[in-house]
Amino acid sequence: MAFPAKYPSLNDTALTEEARSTLIRVIRVAFPHDSFPDGPYERTADTILKAAEESTWFRVSLTQGLLTLAHLAGGDFRQLDEDAATSVLRRIETTEFFGFIRRTTVLNLYDDPEVWDAVGYEGPSVDKGGYIDRGFNDLDWLPDPRIETYTGEPIVEIARSVPLAPPHAATHGGGQSAASTSADTSTQPGATDARQGQLQHSEATK
Amino acid sequence: MTRHGKPIEQDHETVVIIGSGAGGGTLAYELTAKGIPCVVLEAGPYLTNDDYTNNEWEAFNQMAWLDPRTTSGSWRIARDFPNLPTWIVKAVGGTTTHWSGATPRFKAHEFAIRSTYGRLEGANLLDWPITLAELEPFYDRAEIAMGSTHVHGRKPLPANNNYKVFANGAERVGYKHYSTGPYATNAEEYDGRPASIQDGFNFQGDKNKSKWSTLVREIPRALATGLLDLRADSHVVQITHDQTGRVDAVLYLDENGDLHRQAAALVCVAGNSIETPRLLLQSASPMFPDGLANSSGQVGRNYMRHMTGSVYAQFENPVRMYRGETMAGVIADESRHDPDRGFAGGYYLETISLGPAFLASFAEPGSWGREFTKIIDGYLRTAGLWIVGEDLPQESNRITLNPSVTDKNGLPVPNVHVDDHPNDIAMRSHGYKQAELLYDAVGSVSSHRTPPYPSTHNLGTARMSDKAEDGVVDRWGRSHDVPNLFVSDGSVFTSSAAANPTLTIVALAIRQAEYIADQLAHDGI
Ligand SMILES: Cc1cc2nc3c(=O)[nH]c(=O)nc-3n(C[C@H](O)[C@H](O)[C@H](O)COP(=O)(O)OP(=O)(O)OC[C@H]3O[C@@H](n4cnc5c(N)ncnc54)[C@H](O)[C@@H]3O)c2cc1C
Repeated sequence: MAFPAKYPSLNDTALTEEARSTLIRVIRVAFPHDSFPDGPYERTADTILKAAEESTWFRVSLTQGLLTLAHLAGGDFRQLDEDAATSVLRRIETTEFFGFIRRTTVLNLYDDPEVWDAVGYEGPSVDKGGYIDRGFNDLDWLPDPRIETYTGEPIVEIARSVPLAPPHAATHGGGQSAASTSADTSTQPGATDARQGQLQHSEATK
Repeated sequence: MTRHGKPIEQDHETVVIIGSGAGGGTLAYELTAKGIPCVVLEAGPYLTNDDYTNNEWEAFNQMAWLDPRTTSGSWRIARDFPNLPTWIVKAVGGTTTHWSGATPRFKAHEFAIRSTYGRLEGANLLDWPITLAELEPFYDRAEIAMGSTHVHGRKPLPANNNYKVFANGAERVGYKHYSTGPYATNAEEYDGRPASIQDGFNFQGDKNKSKWSTLVREIPRALATGLLDLRADSHVVQITHDQTGRVDAVLYLDENGDLHRQAAALVCVAGNSIETPRLLLQSASPMFPDGLANSSGQVGRNYMRHMTGSVYAQFENPVRMYRGETMAGVIADESRHDPDRGFAGGYYLETISLGPAFLASFAEPGSWGREFTKIIDGYLRTAGLWIVGEDLPQESNRITLNPSVTDKNGLPVPNVHVDDHPNDIAMRSHGYKQAELLYDAVGSVSSHRTPPYPSTHNLGTARMSDKAEDGVVDRWGRSHDVPNLFVSDGSVFTSSAAANPTLTIVALAIRQAEYIADQLAHDGI
């Protein structure tokens, strides 16, 4: 149900400092990272507020959602501990309000250099000459594996349990043919009854 | 519209190529190199390596095809990314600017799935009208053009951190056919382009030009022949025909929405497998009421996007998967056809890495709370792989025009309908299990099954067939119905095979260029 009020008051509601700090708390509870500083959460909240300023529909959902949170929290959502706050969010997770926050957060929170620092991602490297001399292969807790193509037995392209494919089916310039002995293919999904087996063989000899 | 190269008169009947990606860009180079003038119409802008940015969302928003599309069907994409079914680039060079570079070949039996797999309920299997043997010389030429590592004397790329985890896991579960390629990015200087600096941005434009794309190779070389008229920001909206049913021109919009007409002797469509059928459907006329080249009713049908999925596993120690060439790691052991596993066809495992921004967006769409954030918290200690396998053509997996949604030009948007086939589901779950075993074998502490991303491989919507009633184009990619209309991209795939498609698209385009040149020389068109 749409919020039954006039836009000017909706604008006021959406942009109060209280609304902003509640929104920051919602994002922290929904996307809790103990190692993240406040900056990325604040910037994400501001991105959401800006989107809400630009879209009446988001503004309406945001305003209504924040009011709902206060109802469900029995007061100030910001006062709830993480578990209680998470339970409140679970109750509203299918709302447009929460979907809007979730989508926008996922797309913005993690596109932030402070977050990259916190998770150990170094980002662009081309200006520094790439990672070629900066640890692209510095993992040392496993042995160095082979990088070349395997030179032993070639792959058996068609398992030996599969009937011989028709001649035109497997024309391999390299001379390797789809060699096999014939057996039943009854583990194939879909219909594999005798009639179709017939069909397969008669087509094969065309 | 921005024009590059030597102008060709708009009323001059010439060879017109639509799209400048793997198919269109290759065809333009091969034809101009043979002395045949071409007009290339490309919907996107002409961006070069200096324009590219090394930030995941910025690069995506700068270059991806973002015009609205709609989705339907049981595939998870319809829920997770309802208006972004694919990841396709709209720029000169097409999606080869964002591709990563894995270049496996098809196997012989993958050209003959109807004969090899038999009849599978719900699937619309058909053998290709060509064989591996016929394509092998063109695979050679494509690999040499693209500089694939591991073949034709190109040395392999070194092991990066993600590959070390992947390959050790492979060895421990008993896989043999693992290596860092073939991969079309230079391990050493080749073809006038430098070796990779392992900068980790492979799903973005490569600022260093080590990665092959038609932007760095075929387009500049075609321009250098003096026979190419490349028009960027030129979106083709219709192919028209004369009263004999031969195509005679294309109509296209520039960036201001103004309509232009280019006369054509021959039209080659290479807009990737959503836009190619869309354009054919948009070109319906009283003579071709169901769309151009669609007497079979197969235009837009049999859409394939590969069976895919990813597994991201966390370890006790750092991995730093983001450093280095993203997809320079492949395991081929599961690419065989072995119905004892419970499905037809096979799949590859390939290394993959996303930055935090993309991992958060794609790892588990819709998820939140601690379940979700632990995926990101372990970022430093995470290794990733991608499962990519054959998906089966189904008639009802289909691109149609959605008349109730229009794009900024007022054109109906394409709707992409996909239902997973039980074979895809069985294969995906097998792949997930194998990936988990692999990471377990090297000591993973947890792992996460990630569903498919917006489709990067798009195939099959104008398929090749021997008989006109079974498909849209013949063995050369020439339309069964319209003699001077060709399809030159992955839309022609009769089956998807397990292999990443681009090498095959390029090989087919080189082969098609030989045929077109020969036909033009002998009045065959
Ligand atoms: C992130 C990513 C990673 C990938 N990695 C690999 C890989 O490792 N190996 C592999 O084999 N493949 C990979 N691919 C897939 C590969 O990029 C595609 O298979 C290939 O580029 C398809 O070639 P194409 O010619 O069919 O289309 P594209 O390369 O997409 O080119 C089509 C062009 O046509 C233009 N166009 C479309 N409609 C019109 C119109 N109406 N008018 C004018 N122009 C039009 C588009 O703007 C585009 O530039 C990857 C793709 C992505 C997104």
